[in-house]
Amino acid sequence: MKPILLKFCRICIALCFFIPFVLFFCDFAGILPKKIQLLMSVQLTPAILSGSLVTIALLLILTLLFGRIYCAVLCPLGVLQDIIARIRTIGNRKQVKKRRYRYSRPQNVLRYLLLGLCIVLLLFGILVPVLMLDPYSNFGRITTNLFRPVVIFGNNLLNELATKAGNYSFYHVTIYTVTAVSFLSALFVFLVVAIMALFRGRLFCNTICPAGSLLGLVSRYSLFRITVDHDRCNNCHLCERVCKSQCIDSKSGAVDGSRCVTCFNCLSRCSHRAIDYRFTPRLKPQPAPPSGTQNLSSDKAQSLQQGRRTFLLTGATIAMAIPAIPTTALTKSTIDDSKLKPITPPGSKSLLRFKEKCTGCHLCVTHCPQQILKPADFAFGFDYFLKPHLVYDHAYCNYECTVCSEVCPNGAIVPFTESDTKQTTQVGVAKFTAERCVVPNRSTDCGACSEHCPTQAVHMIPYRDGLRIPQVTPELCIGCGGCEYICPVRPLKAINVVANEVHQAAHLPTEEETEQPTEIEDFGF
Amino acid sequence: MKRRDFFRLGAAAAVTATLDFDQLQAALTSNKMVVEAIPDMVAVMGGEPAVMLDEALKTLGGISKFVKKGQTVVIKPNIGWDKKPDFAANTNPELVGALVKQCLAAGAKKVTIFDHTCDNWQKCYASSGIEKIAKESGASIVPANDEVYYKSVSLPQGVKLKSAKIHQALLEADVWFNVPVLKNHGGAKMSIAMKNYMGIVWDRGFFHDNDLQQCIADICTWNKKPALNIVDAYRCMRKHGPQGRSISDTSLLKSLIVSPDIVASDVASIKLFNQVEKMDVGEVGCVAHGERLKLGTQDIDKLSIKRIKI
Repeated sequence: MKPILLKFCRICIALCFFIPFVLFFCDFAGILPKKIQLLMSVQLTPAILSGSLVTIALLLILTLLFGRIYCAVLCPLGVLQDIIARIRTIGNRKQVKKRRYRYSRPQNVLRYLLLGLCIVLLLFGILVPVLMLDPYSNFGRITTNLFRPVVIFGNNLLNELATKAGNYSFYHVTIYTVTAVSFLSALFVFLVVAIMALFRGRLFCNTICPAGSLLGLVSRYSLFRITVDHDRCNNCHLCERVCKSQCIDSKSGAVDGSRCVTCFNCLSRCSHRAIDYRFTPRLKPQPAPPSGTQNLSSDKAQSLQQGRRTFLLTGATIAMAIPAIPTTALTKSTIDDSKLKPITPPGSKSLLRFKEKCTGCHLCVTHCPQQILKPADFAFGFDYFLKPHLVYDHAYCNYECTVCSEVCPNGAIVPFTESDTKQTTQVGVAKFTAERCVVPNRSTDCGACSEHCPTQAVHMIPYRDGLRIPQVTPELCIGCGGCEYICPVRPLKAINVVANEVHQAAHLPTEEETEQPTEIEDFGF
Repeated sequence: MKRRDFFRLGAAAAVTATLDFDQLQAALTSNKMVVEAIPDMVAVMGGEPAVMLDEALKTLGGISKFVKKGQTVVIKPNIGWDKKPDFAANTNPELVGALVKQCLAAGAKKVTIFDHTCDNWQKCYASSGIEKIAKESGASIVPANDEVYYKSVSLPQGVKLKSAKIHQALLEADVWFNVPVLKNHGGAKMSIAMKNYMGIVWDRGFFHDNDLQQCIADICTWNKKPALNIVDAYRCMRKHGPQGRSISDTSLLKSLIVSPDIVASDVASIKLFNQVEKMDVGEVGCVAHGERLKLGTQDIDKLSIKRIKI
């Protein structure tokens, strides 16, 4: 195959994944088919967390055969970095000819330390570091919190213009799901990734990303690999300059297979076909290019530079893992402070299970038609940071709706079945506080809570002076939050849903046999 | 032009300007003969929704009495819930479709339908069957799910509710029809024509927090009154309203009550309802509040009512 074709194919396939990926995350109107979700399920971290051994095996075999194809075409964050790096060369052809990338030593200590840390903590059930570094869920959060609002803003502008002309084809969307914390943390990650990509290509993938490091361990031994033919090479260094992984040492002709993301840029640059992608099985990895750690003592200046670099990168990583953003509450809380457990989405089974499965990619957040799934801040602890929970401040969970379980890429939210239905899944129970209720306090009718209750778990019973007051039948309550959403009492609402740490089965409302006449003969007046 | 002619013309113009044709028209329509011909209320029973609507409108002098050529019309059904038509949680779609066709036949420039739904608006519009029939019959069904669509209006006669944000489609309309479904209601006791007004406003929380029944009456004092209140009692929700739990909560009454008097419409509807489920008119507070605010009369025996059985 011609070298330029390889690169062309890589770009095409990458876009075939990347574009639907972005569109699916930005699709606020639910236009696109939910099956696009399958693209997300081939992502490495979701596959690991959901225990999809087949997907993991396929990805590892792919890497062992062809190198880090995953990083080149499947990983949306990788493609995003390529796009960002490409921006630098747009409209400046001379820049390409100038020295753009230089070979750099692998940050092996850092990358394998991070990978090891992630794996060890994962085995202990601590997901936070993985999820903060995972490329897929970071990309999801960036798209959800940064790109999607821009799309919605555009829609709202169009809607405003159309409405003025009397056209109601569009509709206004107010975003409720982007919180200050989720926005700032996504922005922070985006800036870190973007700056790294602009100046150092795929540095993120080769030092910080645990998926990249894991695949790098495999791609060292990959059967197809980039190799330099010393007889043909005229030492022009062009391949090194276009290598965004900075893994080609054109002086020695060594290519670091663990960092190569098979972008094939080098191939299309080389006019002598001295560098090629060919079947080169190797039991041992190529004699490693002088690693930063080995040469540290020999050159003091270099060691200083290396140390600083490692320090900076470690700093950036740590900062990314624990975004130090103040969790300032923007809106007044309408729920009781004693409610400290998050309400997890219906289908997530239990808080513990959800914590272990959810990658916090925010795909469910973007697809919830009611916008009640919101990313958490630190209120529920570090291990729930940025994971979605149900918030009933402006809407509630639709009785029939199961969208979140349909889009979840790794089974953190399990799709419902005929025997295990959404309508009988109790994610929490409504708790009524009579002292705060409108009916006794103002002696007026209200009943908004009962009105919105799909199961009549919240129903009205006689109170006094012809007034009626809510009462809760817990067995019927599914915790949808209809009552909490509509309760007019402030600052604290008179009815709140208290989370079930383990979801329970609710009774289906029974249908009563009717005694009243259901048909009539006369008007009655 | 001679000076004399100029003065004459000026004088004639001045006289013409002082003539008030509105009053003349009002005098004509309140003419005793017209009152005798057209009843205050029409109640129809025993037909399909479209047939009953035709009968009622015919009795009231035809749709062209209410909708003039080139006017924009809003139809405000109850589409509050994500429920199929058989649950009677929303207005019957066939009734809405028939009304759209009538309006367009009368030469309406545009017919718009909306409701500020309780459940997700897109699901409500779809499940109720109203979105489909609106499109088929040539009306546009518009979103009402966001505060941007609402503009503030003042309600000088309101007791508790002094102003409210009302949907812009309704503010811009020349004429509108209030088309509720007859329902039992856990909070407001009954949901009929007056309660249906809650779907034209944005901030319903205020209603619940500040004497629901009074606020319902207050919002009905808004100076743009519906041309007609068309109460869909084809299938009514007998209990567990406003959502209902199953079809067994409904009764097939095959009736339609139409009147420009909103209080009388509600009272007549409650009397009809009482044949399948007991409900004291006195319990539905907004009706008495409405009468006090001069929105209509509770004493429907004094009205001329045309009863039609098909």
